Amino acid sequence: MPEASSLPRPPAAGRIKAALTVALFAALFVLAFRQTGFNFQALFSGTADFFRFFGRLVPDWSALPQIWPPLIQTIQIAYVATIVGSLLAMPIVFLASSNTSTDPVTLWIARTLLTVLRSIPDLLWAALFVAVLGLGALPGVVALVFFTMGVLAKLGSETVEAIDPGPLEALRAAGAGRNRTIVFAVVPQVAATMVSYILYVFEINVRASVVIGLVGAGGIGQLLLRYLNFFDYTGVAAIIVVIFAVVLLIDGFSVWARSKLI
Amino acid sequence: MAHIRFNDVEVVYRTGLKALKGVTLEIPRGQFVVVVGLSGAGKSTLIRTVNSLVVPTKGSVTVNDVNVTASRGGALRRARSDIGMIFQTFNLVKRSSVLRNVLAGRLGDLPAWRGVLGAFPREDVAYAHDCLARVGIPEKAFVRADALSGGQQQRVGIARALAQKPSVMLADEPVASLDPPTSHAVMSDLKRIAREDGITTIVNLHFIDMARDYADRIIGMRDGVVVFDGTPDEATDAVFEEIYGRPLESKDLRGA
Amino acid sequence: MVNAPRIPSDVPRPPAHVRRNRVLMIAGVVLLVALFVLALVTMNLPTWQRFVNGMQRNFWPLMRGLVRPETEVFGLAWRSMSETFFMAILGTALGALLAFPISFFAAGNLLGGTRWALPGKALLVAIRTFPELVLAIIFVAAAGPGPTAGIMAMGIHSIGYLGKVFSDVIEGIDQGPMEAIRAAGGNQLHTFLYSVVPQVLPEFASHVLYRFEINLRAATVLGMVGAGGIGLPLIQRLQFRRWDEVSMLLIVIVGFIIVVDAVSSRVRNRLV
Ligand SMILES: Nc1ncnc2c1ncn2[C@@H]1O[C@H](COP(=O)(O)OP(=O)(O)OP(=O)(O)O)[C@@H](O)[C@H]1O
Ligand SMILES: [Mg+2]
Repeated sequence: MPEASSLPRPPAAGRIKAALTVALFAALFVLAFRQTGFNFQALFSGTADFFRFFGRLVPDWSALPQIWPPLIQTIQIAYVATIVGSLLAMPIVFLASSNTSTDPVTLWIARTLLTVLRSIPDLLWAALFVAVLGLGALPGVVALVFFTMGVLAKLGSETVEAIDPGPLEALRAAGAGRNRTIVFAVVPQVAATMVSYILYVFEINVRASVVIGLVGAGGIGQLLLRYLNFFDYTGVAAIIVVIFAVVLLIDGFSVWARSKLI
Repeated sequence: MAHIRFNDVEVVYRTGLKALKGVTLEIPRGQFVVVVGLSGAGKSTLIRTVNSLVVPTKGSVTVNDVNVTASRGGALRRARSDIGMIFQTFNLVKRSSVLRNVLAGRLGDLPAWRGVLGAFPREDVAYAHDCLARVGIPEKAFVRADALSGGQQQRVGIARALAQKPSVMLADEPVASLDPPTSHAVMSDLKRIAREDGITTIVNLHFIDMARDYADRIIGMRDGVVVFDGTPDEATDAVFEEIYGRPLESKDLRGA
Repeated sequence: MVNAPRIPSDVPRPPAHVRRNRVLMIAGVVLLVALFVLALVTMNLPTWQRFVNGMQRNFWPLMRGLVRPETEVFGLAWRSMSETFFMAILGTALGALLAFPISFFAAGNLLGGTRWALPGKALLVAIRTFPELVLAIIFVAAAGPGPTAGIMAMGIHSIGYLGKVFSDVIEGIDQGPMEAIRAAGGNQLHTFLYSVVPQVLPEFASHVLYRFEINLRAATVLGMVGAGGIGLPLIQRLQFRRWDEVSMLLIVIVGFIIVVDAVSSRVRNRLV
């Protein structure tokens, strides 16, 4: 058997990189624990508290009649926002794709706009528009319109950039301008995918529209907040079960519809 | 009077590669020109300067005495709508119907709102059907383009170019993706239509026998320079060996 | 041209199935529009006037604030955002840690048949469906406000997504190396450690990073229900419409997320 020292060792660069990565992660986690005050004791006691609390969540089905109207409003908010947001996203989709944009400056502006839109979460939009427009379904719709634009424009422009460039060139060679080229060579190629994305965004919007009510943007979330503030945990439980069922249902519908598309 | 005129055309790509080194040619109206040369000789580049898909870095191309090279925006689009183009890979919108693909050829002459809405006048629709009939596939109008064979797809490509009612037709290796019998069928369709409508045509081909079969005039290119310009009779095997810079091989023939 | 234009009346009619699809398409669009209008009139949106009033009263002050944000709250914004960042790290790590074992019970190929994976898959769907913010509210109610509640909410919720993509990755692995280990006399654990884990680790890491990007966004809003991070100072200032301070917080949030996204997606591209 050879002496340990004579064994070939992995190259130095690799070892240094591995060590640095480990050190970086270790430092990040130490900092994270310090900054957030998170520890394992809190984890365990938190989990215990959670399950104790969960035990109290026995649904009270007599709350159902109160639940329906805001539940329907939640779905309406998601639906209206998905449609308006999708329409508004379309120009951004084509301006933010390198193969269909008008010029490099517009491309850059559209992409930057997209990056900013995408960095703002649904609930933040909602809180912002509740402050601007007041409580109710309106700020919810406006918030989700912006949210939809961010999500859809990103997915859409990735799709447009991946299309077959042949037809684009053929139409350009035939003397068609940018808009006509988009309508004839791009839209047919991306339409099915886009519709499937819109369904997917609707799915996300239903989930989002449930929670934005918690900051006052209408729908079932607002009722949930009221029950929570009055410590009406049986009502809370009923809402949670209903939300669960509706989200599952809409997800199921969306998955089914998307499978039909492609 | 020359229909297409290349005036000392030079193309330098952004990579620094000089693909055309000062080409000067005059092509009279109605001539059927075949361009031959090895891969990389600059055939595609030459053809693409005619509709400004590649813009010459020096010199200019005129069609009907209109300087295409200097045209921009609307003027360029008008010039292009008079020039049909056929592609090796057909470049059809596969998910659209054959008819819609052919109608795309009418876009250049359409008012903006009609183009964007796809609201073609009845005459245009009728004309698109006619074009399909002329390439021999009138029954395929409402079939999706991806359901056609390669030869049929290239016929749609020809019909689309034809729908432009062009005076010039460009074809960049239109039969390279097809089998020999289909190649001949497509080439004779192209030639017949060019003859009937008096369309000036430039075709890039790899195959010597096809060039001789169909051309009124053969132009040989090598390294961005025109090294031969003459009739099919003058284009002997020795001339082709000169153009290709090597002895002829069986792959230079498509066969019948 | 040579061709005389034809009489438009003899344009061939599209075949029946093409016409039917066209009718279905139009019917679909009409239905969508009808539902849209119905939703608009029944969801009792406020009047246009209120919309305009709200915009007039608050929109321009917000815009002014964005141009000239209150720099005094920058320190607060930065501290809260880094707390948010670390919450997202711990929440993601917790989620990955818990999702890892669960994912093996949701992967059909390791359990010897898809049906054995069904309970695991169902559990993951259930977790995914449960809104994170509701989890956070429950944790805050149960264990008090603070980052711990947010981290736990994120951790639990992330199991749903991570468990699913992990099990998808496991189901897609190459069976060859597993057989090789078994053929060399290795037991189940050997197979797992020497052929499953090395195959799935880079993809797992990439999905964890992606989830981290999502969690960072989630963490910025968890504070609105008291679960730690920048959400709390933000919603307080939103309630009092301190637009200049709101703007400072927004700028820090957006800038932070954009930078983290850029770094993270670059790392992800190198991983896979
Ligand atoms: N877009 C481009 N950018 C840079 N170089 C290019 C570009 N297009 C072509 N070239 C180069 O220019 C030269 C001429 O190309 P061209 O496509 O005109 O040749 P070709 O004769 O059509 O060849 P083939 O028979 O292979 O189609 C080649 O060396 C090619 O690599
Ligand atoms: Mg070529």
